[in-house]
Amino acid sequence: MNVMITGAAGGLGRAFANECGSRGYNLFLTDINEDGLLRIKRGLERQFDITVATKACDLTNAESVDEMLDIIDKHGIRFDMLLNVAGLDFEGGFTERERENLVKIVMLNNAATLRITHAILERRRPGKPFTIVFVSSLASMFPMPLKATYAASKRFLLDFATSLRQELKDEDVKVLTLCPGGMVTTKETMNSIKAQGFWGDATTNPLEAVARNTIDRALAGYSIYVPGVLNRVLSVFGKIVPRSWIAAVIYWRWKEARNRALHLNEQRT
Amino acid sequence: MKTIVITGASSGIGQETALVLTKQGFNVLGVARSEANFNRAKERILSENPNAKITFFVADLMQQREVVRVAGEINQYLNEKCNGELYALINNAGCVRSWYMTTEEGYEQQFALNHLAGFLLTYKLLPALVKANGRVIMTGSQSHKGIKVRWDDVMLSRGYNPLTAYKQSKLCNMLFAKGLNDRYANKGIRAYVVDPGLVKTDIGNKDTGSLVSFIWSLRKKHGVSPAVPAKTYAYLCGQEVAPEGLYYYLCKEKKYSKQVTKENADRLFELSERLCDIRYGEVK
Repeated sequence: MNVMITGAAGGLGRAFANECGSRGYNLFLTDINEDGLLRIKRGLERQFDITVATKACDLTNAESVDEMLDIIDKHGIRFDMLLNVAGLDFEGGFTERERENLVKIVMLNNAATLRITHAILERRRPGKPFTIVFVSSLASMFPMPLKATYAASKRFLLDFATSLRQELKDEDVKVLTLCPGGMVTTKETMNSIKAQGFWGDATTNPLEAVARNTIDRALAGYSIYVPGVLNRVLSVFGKIVPRSWIAAVIYWRWKEARNRALHLNEQRT
Repeated sequence: MKTIVITGASSGIGQETALVLTKQGFNVLGVARSEANFNRAKERILSENPNAKITFFVADLMQQREVVRVAGEINQYLNEKCNGELYALINNAGCVRSWYMTTEEGYEQQFALNHLAGFLLTYKLLPALVKANGRVIMTGSQSHKGIKVRWDDVMLSRGYNPLTAYKQSKLCNMLFAKGLNDRYANKGIRAYVVDPGLVKTDIGNKDTGSLVSFIWSLRKKHGVSPAVPAKTYAYLCGQEVAPEGLYYYLCKEKKYSKQVTKENADRLFELSERLCDIRYGEVK
């Protein structure tokens, strides 16, 4: 089994890589952070008897992706699975954020994800089943003031994946969208979850379990995975409560959380 | 003058031990995570002991590249100022995590800092330790009892529990100390584990979630001052002839888990060497 993981040097990417490693899958890892890629490669090779290839790549840059594809083609690598993990967010309201940072969210989360997905689908192992995972978010279920661009970019992935799944059904391609709540991958995410108080803790998903269950479910042909019972309940609310109401509640909650986060950060420095 | 390296020296047990050791006349090299932290610690140590010989190095020992870098700086210091001799290494830095989080290599963080960092740092400083017939001391815990190493999933990625991860990392401290003694006692090195008891420190409040932090805040109220365990480190460093025991509490030998066997120690040694990509046997 050959698996491509994007965003592999980050917290969730590393968790996926470890999970795949423990299953004996061979890995092709990419990330914009070259140093981080080499370190996770080293860690994986020391733990598991697998082949790990890496190539640093800026997925938002077509030339950079072409360079990577050249290497893949030169070695004749063909894939059985693609885990689209690379993505980003910047904190703050729409008008408070840097314009180009807002554009970057969509460029990476959406445009770049389409680019790599298209490219790797062309490099499927012929005549074999193929599996794609899109890392969306619980945020894809709701309009989210103060996280508007991010949530909308994740909604894009959810809708796109659902359609793609239908298109490729007859070609033995399975498509799963992962919609997790918060996951503790860095100190920053830990503080942001702490700042949300009870709801932060309650919607947080354990990273290692999400990684394992996602791959299990993707292989079993599930279309969507919302980890955690509470998150599943919330996602149902997202479907039945009027969206403008949801937006109002979320705005109120995030504003509070943001104030607390600012306060926490001030205390830390 | 004898030199001692102590990690996690800017707060808690490490800071107190550093202070006591300077009072005993040792030259202390502390490792801390940030300059701000060590400045605060240094100020306090110098205010209580104006003659203290204390030098700090900055490193985030969770990451292996940082361990390797700081080991290089310490070795350079030892070669220039201490005739390449290190009298003792105290692997004290440790952490608690509420969630499964990984290092750059993808290793679980409690295992990486509480065990692997000390394993790798000891290896890097081994020549200086051998030269001085040095001692290696780990900060362990009573909680190493009642648990086995999960050999099939040492990073605990199947069902992570913060306490299990902590207990296992402390059992690893015991196994590492035993493994060191098995290999290097004949070369003059002795390794120990100190059980500090329940101590009033902030270990459970640093980078942990609300629940772990809350439980620790309640629990630490019953803890003793870090000055209490500091005496045990001072005792182990202060004896002319290296004590023969492995596990010490309040300056006395204490019984430890039956899991601390040669077989388990060898197995951990082999695994840790692989995870750090080093071979102890190759050190001359």
